Amino acid sequence: MGTLRRHGPIGAVCGLAAAAVLAAFLLLIAILLAEAWPVLDPGFLVDAPSRFADRAGVGPALAGTLWISFLTAAIAFPTGLGTAVYLEEYAPRTRMTGAIESTIANLAGVPAVVYGVVGLALFARGLGLGASILAGGCTLAALALPTVIVASRSAIRAVPKGLRIAAYGLGATRWQVIRHQILPAAAPGVLTGCCLALTRAMGEAAPLLVIGAAAFITFAPGAPGDPLTSLPTQVFAWTARSQEDFAALAAGACVALLLVLLAINLVALAVRHRLRGVKR
Amino acid sequence: MNISASGTGPDAAALSADGLSVRFGSKTALSEVSLSIPRGRVVSIIGPSGCGKTTLLRCFNRMNELIPGAVTTGTVCFNGVDLHGEGVDPVEVRRRIGMVFQQATLFPKSVFDNVAFGPRASGYTGDLHVLAEDVLTAAGLWSEVAEDLDAPAMELSAGQRQRLCIARTLALKPDILLMDEPTSALDPTATARIEATIHALKSDHTIVIATHKRRQAARLSDLTAYLDQGELLEYGPTETLFTNPRRRRTEYYLTGRIS
Repeated sequence: MGTLRRHGPIGAVCGLAAAAVLAAFLLLIAILLAEAWPVLDPGFLVDAPSRFADRAGVGPALAGTLWISFLTAAIAFPTGLGTAVYLEEYAPRTRMTGAIESTIANLAGVPAVVYGVVGLALFARGLGLGASILAGGCTLAALALPTVIVASRSAIRAVPKGLRIAAYGLGATRWQVIRHQILPAAAPGVLTGCCLALTRAMGEAAPLLVIGAAAFITFAPGAPGDPLTSLPTQVFAWTARSQEDFAALAAGACVALLLVLLAINLVALAVRHRLRGVKR
Repeated sequence: MNISASGTGPDAAALSADGLSVRFGSKTALSEVSLSIPRGRVVSIIGPSGCGKTTLLRCFNRMNELIPGAVTTGTVCFNGVDLHGEGVDPVEVRRRIGMVFQQATLFPKSVFDNVAFGPRASGYTGDLHVLAEDVLTAAGLWSEVAEDLDAPAMELSAGQRQRLCIARTLALKPDILLMDEPTSALDPTATARIEATIHALKSDHTIVIATHKRRQAARLSDLTAYLDQGELLEYGPTETLFTNPRRRRTEYYLTGRIS
């Protein structure tokens, strides 16, 4: 009622929408935690999956997800940012670059499972990486790449034109303009885009299942060549089982996945905060 | 190609344009402009908005080529070298011929970093603090910022920003200073301060200033060029042009019948 009086009918409807989103989010967390409660203990994060639900944990899957995220970031971020810088600052406006641009935009909308098929053919079979962590990282990097490029390009394009002109006018070379003006100004936007792409990619199960992620790995992967496993594929494997205990395990794995996402977002937040501090 | 060789006398041309034309796509912005800017003088370029003042100014340090679709023909000679010639590096040109833009766009950094950007970019080896004090003094800003050079430049007032832009350009130690409507966004007090700065810079700089303020041109410059629809209609000593214009369009412009 107070909202209606203060903000009018449109404001009240918008406020209602916001409240619904908040409620849905809280409900999601509550259901997850309630489902996962029986399995949540410190050992759960390090134990290996087991035939016996009460002994199972997400150790290998968690390690796999961390490995895959690292590889995805290491491959997709530099490649994507480099592509964005090239397209915005170096490439002449020709039909060729126009075609590249629209291809990238379209790739961002391709379903994840399609990337899985490409990853299977290209990385797992073609390059002989098999169903490994590295093949998974490469596949998810390919999935994340278009989003990184599109977000980085719009961040670069949003840099005020005057900044470019001023830097060029002061006798800076193209690289100096990019390095000292454009990249610092675009950094927060680039970071947001990278974060979004990474968190979306690491939540994908389908492409990794297509490559051949294993659901039953008893040791944590320690190198890129180790067998592929991840939290989302673990969730999928556990939900496919009929025993009720495994539903709790799946919910527990989801909680672990959300914790990783939260950690990544916190790191991004801290970096963004630092960037803003440096700018002053 | 080296553009710094210079053995010319005091009254020689610092810059001379010959048959200079600029097209943006199919639109002609400048057609067949020829003029010579004597060393150590202040030259104003006046004319109705859209007449090509900015475009002409930007030809002098090759800024137009940053605009996609811009085509420049003709020559601009500086120290006997055609600036648009083969082998001339536009970066080197912009370091020798500095420019102050209409919009005072500062870098989102400290006052000091703004001044130091150009020298750092060109690999200046001297003491940056000494240089900063010199150019900030020349731009009439030193007393206002000396206390805290590390303060964010964005916190300066509009007039101070423009003077910082002038200081930033002076830090390149350019041979020629180009100024594109440096006071168009400022109030009368700030404008007066900028004009005082330009007056002070006159003694040891060649300055080309594009302005739509007729009286500013009259106050500041030794020579005035009148541009109209991309053509140079008249060019001569400021006093002659203002009191006794040869062309009717010039007279119309000066008396405010066209703007």
